[in-house]
Amino acid sequence: MSKPEKAVLETREPTPARAWLVGMMAWFVPGAGHVMEKKWGRAAMMGGAVWLCFIVGLGMGGHLFDLTTGQGSSPLLQVPPMIANLGSGILYLFEWLRGVGFADDPAQAAKATYEYGNTFLLIAGLLNYLNMLDAFDIAAGRKP
Amino acid sequence: MRHFLVMTLFAVFASVVFGAVAKDTPQERWLYGLKVFAEFMVIGLVLSWILYFIP
Repeated sequence: MSKPEKAVLETREPTPARAWLVGMMAWFVPGAGHVMEKKWGRAAMMGGAVWLCFIVGLGMGGHLFDLTTGQGSSPLLQVPPMIANLGSGILYLFEWLRGVGFADDPAQAAKATYEYGNTFLLIAGLLNYLNMLDAFDIAAGRKP
Repeated sequence: MRHFLVMTLFAVFASVVFGAVAKDTPQERWLYGLKVFAEFMVIGLVLSWILYFIP
């Protein structure tokens, strides 16, 4: 690391504690982080996109991943998609508590929209990670 | 048509978030979001036609 880069790092202001809270809330409830920052339009658009993406994915019969697997494969293979699904925050946790979307049901997998649903559910979580980082940056004053 | 609708929905969701996260001014964000949406749609259609001819 060069001296000027080091100097920039040393003079950077520490991240305010509130930014971590905003980041956590943005993950937990999609859109809530931007609401806390009073970015109403962004909250509606970005949070709405995640909520709709998740609901549409679930409606299409998509599968949510956790560490259990009924197909004899390693639970480790479930980790990457589970991390993506976990990005949806409360939406994932709510469905996990209800037990909806987690079953390895052949009838569900036979649906024409099953793979689409999977993709929508994964993308909803990944998009919410972007929302979370955006809300964090706004709260930390690194973004307007 | 249903496949096309699903692809369009996907492109809308992704481009809304990509557009909102990137760039600095609202105008740049709108333009970037529209560009990402167009890219999703065009690439999706091109790929689907390529795959259509592959048995």
